[in-house]
Amino acid sequence: MFRLTITKALNGAKVSPKPIFIAARLQSGEVKKPEKIEVFIDDQPVLVEPGTTVLQAAALIGVEIPRFCYHERLAVAGNCRMCLVEVEKSPKPVAACAMPVMKGWRIKTNSEMTKKAREGIMEFLLVNHPLDCPICDQGGECDLQDQSMAFGSDRSRFTDIDFSGKRAVEDKDIGPLVKTIMTRCIHCTRCIRFASEIAGVDDLGTTGRGNDMQVGTYVEKLFMSELSGNVIDLCPVGALTSKPYSFTARPWEIRKIDSIDVLDAVGSNIIVSTRTGEVMRIVPRVNEEINEEWLADKSRFSYDGLKRQRLVTPMIRDNTGELKPVDWEIALLTVAKVIKNAGSNIGAIAGGFADAEALIALKDLLNRLGSEALCTEHTFPLDGSGTDLRSNYLLNNKIANAEEADLVLLVGTNPRFEAPLLNSRLRKAWVHNELEVASIGPKVDLRYSYEHLGDNPNLLQQIAGGQHAFSKKLKAAKKPLVIVGAESLERPDGAAILSAAQSIAAQASSSKDWKVLNVLHKVASQVAALDIGYAPGVDKIREINPKVLFLLGADENAVEKSDLPKDCFVIYQGHHGDRGAAMADAVLPGAAYTEKQATYVNTEGRAQETLPAVTPPGRAREDWKIIRALSEILGAKLPYDNLNDIRDRLDEVAPHLTRYGSAEDANFFRQAQELAKKAKVQLDSTPLDVKIKELQDYFMTDSISRASPTMAKCVQAALKHRQSKYSD
Amino acid sequence: MSYFGIDRFFDFLKTVKATGGVRSALYKLYRMDSLRPGVLVGCDKYGNKYYENRHYFLGRDRWIEYAPHYALEYDGSQVPAEWFGWLHHRTDLPPEKDCSRPKYKWMSDHTENLSGTPGQYMPYSTTTPKIHAWVPPKAPPQDEDDENKKKECK
Repeated sequence: MFRLTITKALNGAKVSPKPIFIAARLQSGEVKKPEKIEVFIDDQPVLVEPGTTVLQAAALIGVEIPRFCYHERLAVAGNCRMCLVEVEKSPKPVAACAMPVMKGWRIKTNSEMTKKAREGIMEFLLVNHPLDCPICDQGGECDLQDQSMAFGSDRSRFTDIDFSGKRAVEDKDIGPLVKTIMTRCIHCTRCIRFASEIAGVDDLGTTGRGNDMQVGTYVEKLFMSELSGNVIDLCPVGALTSKPYSFTARPWEIRKIDSIDVLDAVGSNIIVSTRTGEVMRIVPRVNEEINEEWLADKSRFSYDGLKRQRLVTPMIRDNTGELKPVDWEIALLTVAKVIKNAGSNIGAIAGGFADAEALIALKDLLNRLGSEALCTEHTFPLDGSGTDLRSNYLLNNKIANAEEADLVLLVGTNPRFEAPLLNSRLRKAWVHNELEVASIGPKVDLRYSYEHLGDNPNLLQQIAGGQHAFSKKLKAAKKPLVIVGAESLERPDGAAILSAAQSIAAQASSSKDWKVLNVLHKVASQVAALDIGYAPGVDKIREINPKVLFLLGADENAVEKSDLPKDCFVIYQGHHGDRGAAMADAVLPGAAYTEKQATYVNTEGRAQETLPAVTPPGRAREDWKIIRALSEILGAKLPYDNLNDIRDRLDEVAPHLTRYGSAEDANFFRQAQELAKKAKVQLDSTPLDVKIKELQDYFMTDSISRASPTMAKCVQAALKHRQSKYSD
Repeated sequence: MSYFGIDRFFDFLKTVKATGGVRSALYKLYRMDSLRPGVLVGCDKYGNKYYENRHYFLGRDRWIEYAPHYALEYDGSQVPAEWFGWLHHRTDLPPEKDCSRPKYKWMSDHTENLSGTPGQYMPYSTTTPKIHAWVPPKAPPQDEDDENKKKECK
C-alpha cells in the first residue's frame, strides 16, 4: 500500500526522503553527490542536500517543528497539517514534513502566520478529541497534550456544552496487546504506515472520509504481528495504548532504567519502567545499531512473566521426594557437601538467560574442582575449527548493515520469529533497497516475498558447487549475506551445513569489510558462553555420567532425568520454576535480567549490560554471587568479591566482554573454511526445519514467556485468528 | 480493742481463716496482691467468683477472684458481660436477680481477648501479591498400588 512514498513517487524513486541515512549510505561513493542548496530558517542559513524537506532542514539547526503524522522511520503522509510553516513569498503556509526545500527559501517557523496556522489546526483536532486526559493512559506522555500546551491557542471557541456534537468512534478489538480507544484518534495514520511498511501486515487502514474517517481493520480482525506493540509508541495520542499496562501507572511516577532485552539473541535496548518495586512496562530505547526504536512483542510484553512462577527461596528435595523451602545456609551447605562428595565428577549446563558473570564464575568454580564438563544447552558443530574461531558463530556483518544487503540467503532460519528486529531490517532493505531474499528451509511467512529454494540441505552443496541457478545471482551480488539459523546447526550434520555455508560465503564476491557469513542465534547467552569457553551441546554430560549436574537456568530439557545416572544430584540455579527446577534436587533462586547488573553478548558479538531495575524477589540473589558463596563453602574460593573484580576476570578471558556497546569484529573466515573441509560429517537429506513457524509458536519459547499470562493470551489470540475467516 | 488496733489483727486472722489457712492465704497474696475479706455474691459459669465488701471505699468494694485454672494468666477481659455491670457499679443487681437483662438463645458465649495467643486475630493483606512464587509439583506416587488404593477409596 505504502511501498512507494509520496516524494519517492514524485522523484521517480530516486531520493527517499525518509531514511536519509540509508540514502546517504547508498549514495556515498557510488553516486556523485549533488550540490547542496542554501535555505534560511528563521534567517539562519543552512546548507542541505536537494530533496531535504523543510522539517528536516529545520531539524539540522535545532528548530523543531511540531508534528503528529510525520515520523522519521515512516513514509511521509502529510495529513495532520500540524507542521505548517510560513515560507516567504508563498501565499499559503506549507506542510514542512512533505515539502522539499528550494534554493533560497526563507522559512519562518515562528511568524504570526505559522502560529495562527498551528492554533487553527490544534483547535480543529481538539474539537473532536475527548477531554479524558485524566483517565487516559497516554496522559503525561501525549504529543497532543504537550503540543496543545506549547502551540495551541490560549482560549477555546468550543461552545458545545450540551454534549451533542463530539465525534465518537467504536473501539476495535485488535488483539490482547494493543488497546484501542478510537474516539481519541487524530488520524495521523502512523499505525497504518507502520503496519504496512515495517511490520508488513497490511491490516490497518482508513474507512470513510472527512469527519467520518475511521482508522481500523474494516472487518473485525486481530492485528497479529510480532511487532504490533510498536504502534503504541508511535501513536501520538491515547488511541492505541498498551493493554497489559492500562491503568497501572503514570509516566511521572515511574522510574526508568536503561537495560537490555534477553528474550532473543538480538539484544534490543530497552527501558524498564518500575514503580513500587515492580516492573510496570518495558519500552524500547533507541539504538541505531540494533533495534532502531522498535521492540518485538515478546520482549515488550512478557514482563508479567517476571512476576509469576518465580523461585523466591532455596529449596532442597526431602526424603518424600518433594522440594521443601530451606534457608540459604542449609541449601549451600547441602549442595557443597554433595559437590565435595562428587569430586571432579560434576557437569554444568548453561541455559539461555545466563549472563556472562555467572557463566565465568561457574566455569572458574568447576575448573577449580577439576571438571571441564561445562556445556550450553544449544548445540553448535565442533568439527573443523568449531567454536575456536569467533567468526564461525557470530552474525558477523552486524544487524544494521543487513539493510544495505542486495541478496540474502536464509539457511534453516525463520528470522521473523527468531529475531524480529533483524527481519524488520531485511524487510526495510526489501522495501527501499530492492533486496532479493532466498531461503532454504521450511516455507514460512516472512512478510516479504522471497524465493523458496527448497528445504533439502543438499541444495547448499549445489549452490556452493555452482550447479544451482542461485549461484549466479550470488556471484553477481555486490553485498550478499548468508544467514544461517542456529537451529540448523544443531542437527547432526550441522558441521556440514556450516561448512557449505562457509564455502558459499567464500565464493561470493564482496568488499573486504562486508562479511557474508552470518549465524543467527536464538538465545541471549549463547555467544557469551561460547566466548568464555563453554562447550556447545550437552553430549559431554551424557558421556561422563556426572554425580552432580549444575543447571544454570537450563530449562529446555536438553538433558532429562533419564539421561543421567540414578544417583545424580541435580542443582538448578535460575529465576523461574520451569522444567529445570522441576527435575532438580536443589534449587538456588537467582535473579532475572531486570534484577541484576549483568553482561550479555548478542548474536553479532556486541557486549551490553543490563542494569538492576528492581530487587530480586524474596531470598533470590544475583547469580554470580551465589556461585561465589558456594565456592567459599567448597573451599575453592573464587578470587572476586565484587562486580569490578569479576569484570576484570571477564576482561582477562575475553576483553570484548567488557567493552559495552561495541561489537568486536571476528575474522579468519578463510582459515575457518579450510578447517571446516576436514570435517567428516556429510550432509543429511532430512529437510531443514525450524521450530517456530507461525505466530502462535513465537510467544512462549522460554521460561519467562512461558510464565507470562499476556503471552498465553497472545497464543490464544493467534490461534483464534487462524480460525477467523479473515486471516490470510 | 480498736484503740490499739488489735481488732484489725483479729480481722486479719479471720480473713486468713476464711481464705482457707495460711498456705492458701499466701498463695492468694502471691496471685492477687491483696487479701480482702468479703461476701461471696455469685459465681459465673467460667468459675470466677464475685465478692463484695462495702467496708472498702467505692471502686475497691467489689472484686473478682478469677477461676483457679487461670492461675496467673488472668485479665479483665475474662469478666463476662453480665457481671461486668455489677463489678463496675452500673447495677447493684447480680445477673441472676436482674430481670431486665435480655436473654436470647442466639446470644453467643463470652470470649476473652485472644491477643498474644494462638487464637488471636491476624489481619492479612487483601492486595494481590507482587510476586507469585513457584510451587513445586507434588512428588509422584511411589508405586502403582498406591494409585489403585486411591481409586478404591473414591
